[in-house]
Amino acid sequence: MKFKYVVYALLVMVLTSCEKVIELDLGDTSPTLVIEGNITNTAGPYYVKLTKTVNFDDASIYPGVVGALVTITDNAGQKDTLTHTTGGLYVTQKLRGIIGRTYFLTVLSEGKTYTAQSTMAENVLFDSLRYNPFSFGGSIQHTVIPVYTDPITVGNNYRYLLFVNGILDKTYLVDNDNVNNGKTNERPLRSNDIEIKEGDFVQVAMQCIDAQTYTYYFTLSQAQGNGPGGGTTPSNPPNGITGGALGIFSAYTTQTKSLVIP
Amino acid sequence: MLLPVNKGQLSGMLGLLLLSLSFQSFGQQTITISGTIKDAKSGEAFQGATLSTAGRNTFAITSNEYGFYSLSVPKGRYSFKVSYVGFTEISADINLTADTTIDWELASSAQLEEVVISSKRKDDNLRKAVMGTETLNMNEVAKLPVIFGEKDIIKTIQLLPGVKSNGEGSNGFSVRGGGTDQNLILLDEAPVYNASHLLGFFSTFNSDAIKDATIIKGNSPAQYGGRLSSVLDVKMKEGNIKDFNVTGGLGSISSRVSVEGPIQKEKSSFIVSGRRTYADLFLKASPDFSDSKLYFYDLNAKANYKINDKNRVYLSGYFGRDVLGFGNTFNTDWGNTTGTLRWNSILSAKLFSNTSLIYSNYDYNIRIRNNETDFNINSNIKDWNIKQDFSLYANPQHSLRFGFNAIHHTITPSTFTGTVNNNTPKNGRQGLESAVYINDYWKVNSNLSLDYGLRLSAYSILGGDTYNIYNKGVITESIVLDKGTFGKTYLNAEPRITANYRVSDVSSIKGGYARNTQNLHLMSNSTAGNPTDQWIGNSYSTKPEIADQISVGYSRNFNNNNYEFNAETYYKSMQNQVDYKDGADLNTAADIESELLYGKGRAYGLELLFKKKTGRLTGWVGYTLSKTERKIDGINNNEWYNARQDRTHDMSIVGIYQLNKQWSLSGTFIYNTGNAVTYPTGKYSLNGQTVYQYADRNANRMPANHRLDLNATYDLARKGKKGKYESSLSFGLYNVYGRENAYTITFRDNETDPTKTEAVQTSLFRWVPSITYNFKF
Repeated sequence: MKFKYVVYALLVMVLTSCEKVIELDLGDTSPTLVIEGNITNTAGPYYVKLTKTVNFDDASIYPGVVGALVTITDNAGQKDTLTHTTGGLYVTQKLRGIIGRTYFLTVLSEGKTYTAQSTMAENVLFDSLRYNPFSFGGSIQHTVIPVYTDPITVGNNYRYLLFVNGILDKTYLVDNDNVNNGKTNERPLRSNDIEIKEGDFVQVAMQCIDAQTYTYYFTLSQAQGNGPGGGTTPSNPPNGITGGALGIFSAYTTQTKSLVIP
Repeated sequence: MLLPVNKGQLSGMLGLLLLSLSFQSFGQQTITISGTIKDAKSGEAFQGATLSTAGRNTFAITSNEYGFYSLSVPKGRYSFKVSYVGFTEISADINLTADTTIDWELASSAQLEEVVISSKRKDDNLRKAVMGTETLNMNEVAKLPVIFGEKDIIKTIQLLPGVKSNGEGSNGFSVRGGGTDQNLILLDEAPVYNASHLLGFFSTFNSDAIKDATIIKGNSPAQYGGRLSSVLDVKMKEGNIKDFNVTGGLGSISSRVSVEGPIQKEKSSFIVSGRRTYADLFLKASPDFSDSKLYFYDLNAKANYKINDKNRVYLSGYFGRDVLGFGNTFNTDWGNTTGTLRWNSILSAKLFSNTSLIYSNYDYNIRIRNNETDFNINSNIKDWNIKQDFSLYANPQHSLRFGFNAIHHTITPSTFTGTVNNNTPKNGRQGLESAVYINDYWKVNSNLSLDYGLRLSAYSILGGDTYNIYNKGVITESIVLDKGTFGKTYLNAEPRITANYRVSDVSSIKGGYARNTQNLHLMSNSTAGNPTDQWIGNSYSTKPEIADQISVGYSRNFNNNNYEFNAETYYKSMQNQVDYKDGADLNTAADIESELLYGKGRAYGLELLFKKKTGRLTGWVGYTLSKTERKIDGINNNEWYNARQDRTHDMSIVGIYQLNKQWSLSGTFIYNTGNAVTYPTGKYSLNGQTVYQYADRNANRMPANHRLDLNATYDLARKGKKGKYESSLSFGLYNVYGRENAYTITFRDNETDPTKTEAVQTSLFRWVPSITYNFKF
């Protein structure tokens, strides 16, 4: 709920406030393995990217981890050993992403084993993208609503990638059916990154994700909006990866719709 | 370190109580003098006024919160003194031959120009077995600088050692390492569930309607209970029973007005007090915000009626609301409503009874309308509360308080309704919180006094919902409780004792132990306090929070009690503390309890307070050195970590100077270590976006906060004009040297060089000037 930030934004506007870049001594971090792996219901190959974390003050250039043994299996007997291409990017050879199957990832790197699993959620039909303007504080806000009907069973989770004129919006957009179960979605995608304008080309990739992936991105979204007094205490999002690696391994379905803002 | 209470200790305490009561055997006949002590001008009762006898054997008693006193002394002639600071002392020679009732009315001492920083007897701090307790009356609060010129009891209390503001502008506070929800905030006995307006920039207490406020930092007498850290007991004025008065203030951000007066002279009176902010009027002037709303208002009303000399009833209420919105698109409002019906009865010269029926409600509503969509979120907590309290002035050695209290809670968690957005309907949960207590104030001899008691508290889960038990977020058991049935009942015994030993004429040592429990828990993942934060009651997973606190203190007065020095040190151990798992969803989760984790806490510290109580310059210097930590199963690898409110150093300097008859100047300076926070230690990239890596929880520090605020008050009424009309102008400057205190620190990619990341500090409030015009006629 972005309620808090609305109030905060208003207070900040009403009262004086100032923002400045400061120097903090954040110390050194121990370089930690980061796994980014995706399996989708579209044709492969699929990729698993292995990198390492760097210090906050260092340049945002993340070293790829080479020489790892990366395998993916599923609960229907598929097994694939990924091959390294370049800079820590590992690619599947033959694996197929199938709805309802559970995928198991094993990474053996620098003598340590990491495992993760993810189940590809049921696909919910992404009908269309609807333009949804509304008046907010005297100006028109342009938003879009992904239109789909949530299944009656509880436990559907969604993630959206919002592209405005081809640029990915940095807001973590996730929803689940704790609210609105079994209903047609009416919740607009609220960005706190890119302001959508008339004539913009908007694309939305809707992913049906599992609960673990939802929690992962929900946690990131909570840490993103640091509201009054500092908001939620940030933490590394729970990701279900054993062995202490960061990142996420996720199997999901994906569909894309687009429109031009009138 | 835990201090478990076993049955042996309990019976020991009860034994002590009974034993001490049996000391009543006197050789000679005792006479009881009783009555009330009040203000001659308004008829307001004084709490803490003193009646004492002169001579070799001094007897003394202080009036209770309704101004009632009762003192039993051997038959004979006495010269009595009745005093309340700021008022002219009355002396009277009385020959006591039979039980006597005398009501005393004290007149304001005309020559008293300076503000007096204690409403009590000058050396009360040495005499009484009270620890960690401060009472503020509104005269002190009025002269201190505050943001926007809006005098505020909670902002003033935050200047005392051991009480820490949650952040700049915040009305949330932490007492001795406790959470914001661990303070019992009472307004005329009614619990106030959200004491802030506008996310904490204002408190719900309109100072014009308030008589006084007392904060007790953990060692509360047994009549108080239900929160771990502190009691903030705020009392509304009764209303002038002799004359009509209008008081008010016009400020730069809000205005207030109060009307009080007799309904029937000397028999009944009323007070009505209202306040509203008008920042939204400025908003409306800007075209971008012409359809926005942002304001709050509150209304206090109280009436009382003297049925006869022995019986008096009071009806008081509070209604406050914050309203915020943009046109029809987004509207939200929240607020508290409280009501107290109270019956004071003097059953005998020694026995005073107070019966209260109390209602309290807090709710919030959010309405979002978006073309065809109509969507509401709301939540509330509602209490019905009955309290019976007896004060028994058994003899000069013993004053007892005993009684019971039962609160019926109905808590409706946040529910989504509307044309399209709905969640699974959530049932309101009900609980019954009850307690019986007995407390004895025992003056063992002229040097030693004890305040000790026992509170037995119970919380019963009432039926009407399904309770799930979770193990790390996974349901392990479901308990269906039918409506009208009782679920689990938690029972706790809370022994408390405070001792004061007067070492010399000018110094005393104190020690105390108290156990407090808490059955309601606030679910908040921000420290600023959010109107949408929810309270939950105990369940099968969430157990009563328990705190054991031991404290030791030393008090010394200097220069004929004009200066006072207090030192207190404490150790507090807390059980069944509640926190949230990483990635907790407190708003939409089907059952909020799936998001909770449990653990323990500890806090310890040293508090120093040096006060100058009289003279042209008055004020205090307070300093706290403290540590507070939590250990929660499932957080920070189950290791101890700093609580967010852990601040090593906390200092405040408060000064009020009476320059001349017209001008009084005041200033406050605060310095404190920054909150414990979690900064990223490293970073990585996911789908091309920077993600931060975190290590230990709350291992970092916000930059230290410091600030100087000044205020000057010019008294217009004293310009030689005689008459009833009094007025003053108050000029304030908040943050005099423009310190940019960090409100938040966030992290982002550098805009021009995306390979760099940077930390960004946001600060509020540099130099906030204010002008307030106050009047009274």
